[in-house]
Amino acid sequence: MKKRFVLAAAMAATAALALTACQQGSASGGGDNDNDGGGESGGGEEVVTLEFQSLSDQPLAMEAVQGIVDSWNADNPDIQVELVQAGWDGIYDKLITQFNGGTAPDIIHYEAGSIAPFAVDGYLADLTDLINPDFASDVSEGIWESVTVNDQIIAYPTTLQSYMVFANTDLLEAAGVEVPTGATMTWDELREIAQATTTDGQYGLGWGLSSPTATFMSLGLGFDGGYFEGSGSDVTIDVGEGELAVPEAIHQMAYEDLSLDPVSLTQSGSEVLPSWYAGETALTVQGSFRVASIGTDAPEGFNWTVLPPLEGSVSADQAANPQTYSVNIDSEHVEESAQFLDFFTSTENLAALAYADALVPASASARDALAEQTADENGWAAVLASGDSLVAPPFLTVDAYTQWKDTVATPAFQRFLADEIDSAQLQADLTDGWEQVNR
Amino acid sequence: MSATVVSRPGVSSRAQRREAIALVVPAMAPIIVFSVIPLMAGVYLGFTDATLRRNDVADFIGLDNFVRLMGDRFFWESFRIGLVWAVACSVLTLLCAMGLALLLNTDLRLKSLTRVLALIPWAMPPVVVAIMWRMIYSPTAGPLNAALEAVGLPAVNWLGDFSTALPAVIVVAVWSGMPQTTVLLLAGMQQVPTEQLEAAAVDGANAARRFWHVTLPALRPVVLASTALDFIWSFNSFGLVYVMTEGGPGGRTMLPMLFTYLEAFKNRNIGYASAMGDVLVIAVLLVLSVYLIQQFRKGKAER
Repeated sequence: MKKRFVLAAAMAATAALALTACQQGSASGGGDNDNDGGGESGGGEEVVTLEFQSLSDQPLAMEAVQGIVDSWNADNPDIQVELVQAGWDGIYDKLITQFNGGTAPDIIHYEAGSIAPFAVDGYLADLTDLINPDFASDVSEGIWESVTVNDQIIAYPTTLQSYMVFANTDLLEAAGVEVPTGATMTWDELREIAQATTTDGQYGLGWGLSSPTATFMSLGLGFDGGYFEGSGSDVTIDVGEGELAVPEAIHQMAYEDLSLDPVSLTQSGSEVLPSWYAGETALTVQGSFRVASIGTDAPEGFNWTVLPPLEGSVSADQAANPQTYSVNIDSEHVEESAQFLDFFTSTENLAALAYADALVPASASARDALAEQTADENGWAAVLASGDSLVAPPFLTVDAYTQWKDTVATPAFQRFLADEIDSAQLQADLTDGWEQVNR
Repeated sequence: MSATVVSRPGVSSRAQRREAIALVVPAMAPIIVFSVIPLMAGVYLGFTDATLRRNDVADFIGLDNFVRLMGDRFFWESFRIGLVWAVACSVLTLLCAMGLALLLNTDLRLKSLTRVLALIPWAMPPVVVAIMWRMIYSPTAGPLNAALEAVGLPAVNWLGDFSTALPAVIVVAVWSGMPQTTVLLLAGMQQVPTEQLEAAAVDGANAARRFWHVTLPALRPVVLASTALDFIWSFNSFGLVYVMTEGGPGGRTMLPMLFTYLEAFKNRNIGYASAMGDVLVIAVLLVLSVYLIQQFRKGKAER
């Protein structure tokens, strides 16, 4: 009797464990949660707690986010926001695990280009009707487009970056180059300055392009190089003159003019900075957010400036890939989350956030406020000016974009930048690769 | 009731068997739940169109994934790189570890200290190893290039150059995989009977011949096991290369596991990625069985 019982118990335990294991795979369903949510908020008196996962990991930005959350919590005793600090490193893996395991927070910080796949997969709430109309009209159409997936706005866009040319003014002066002052700067001007500042054994320009795709996708817009036509899985690729203009210009500077350090093309942006600080290169192209760190990291007596935004043959457009704050579709409190995000993106808060991260705020009012605040700080004027020409790039709505970027575009661009293939081969690789990926 | 039952012999042995099952089940349960079921689920996923979408329903689609995989030239290219990598890693690891083990087996002064030092790479997590070597290989600030330039040689962009990237990561893999194999070989060497070595020495065999005819045959089982394990581990390795190059430059270090990771978690096609995993397991089994059968035959023939 006893033995039989032990056996039965052991079998039952095994079966139970096995069932739990099986169930985990499908535990992300939202039906039950929705019912719970209805019951709770119906009570009225209940305190709602929102989990807010923030990625801002720079000390100043962390402080700014904490400040905004604290003042919201003080004003809204019914809706308490609990700040969960995460970082940008490995966040994609973290989010995909959280969503699939059903443990994603209510409010999710990320960026437009990378959050889009989660929206396509159905994990994000539609915020179209929840966004404050004032904020909606304060943000440009192009930026809204970048956070729209299947006709649904899936995130609050907050801050953006652009690619800017940073120059060591002492070296420019030594080479007899005048700092350009126009509203924009053409690629030819960049080429001339790079050539003029190239001396024996020293390159004029250092450009960290180890992950070149994002940069080319963004700056290509200035030449009308959008790469993709269509959306979802019904997409065609077109790699033509406009698309190839930026890679070719860089290739030319590196291998014909010999004014661009080819080693820097295999490094990341931050790995290139030390040689710029050391005065080994006069120019470097970096994300605009470097304005803040250069201000503090540059050696004593280092004179620098930000050159006007680069303009292609068509416009000075760059890709808008704003940082985003989205709401989990399985959250019990989607509306409350949107209320908090309305507060989070108010002019004053957005300006504070953008200042802390040295990024361009998405709303025009916050941009004006920030321009006033930073009137006498180096580099900010050019950075904020670039904010006017940020538009949604076509790739944001392309399903297989990430796959194409990782397995096709990045290797092909790297090969082209290493002078292993010519531009005809690059064009063929990018196009054929797309056919392979988008099957 | 049970007292009367025990007296009959047939029933008693059955009761014994039941007892045995009851004792084994608690030990088996975790293995089944945490290893066997996930493994079977993973194999099965390869036959479905599972994705990481919200509330995804995976449909059985037979061999479609495998048919699609046949025409995926990116996958086969990474498969080729994976084979080069795994063979190079296991062979070089064996050679270097053999040398190191021979050295450590001799009567050096500070023997215990050098043996501990040789183990250090083993004690470091792969990510730390990768970050450290990325610094060493750095084209602008790395000590390796500084040393090259100091003796008048041109600097090399180790991880960024197309021809040096794969060899450079293989060197790191060998460096970090060596201690394990060294320890195995060292243990094996200490099992070699000293009488045989002495007898060979008396017969006039020099060190090289003693190694070739006495030590090496005695080490065969250890060599076999450690190379086979090294091959499996290298073929499936991920962390080291992911941190050092992320498969770049230009896909030259895109190992099959990196490729599968991209498919599973970046493209969210769990089904297709599982099919890749299935193919990789079969490939490793095939290569290993060919190697092992060959080695066993050779061993028999020599006996």
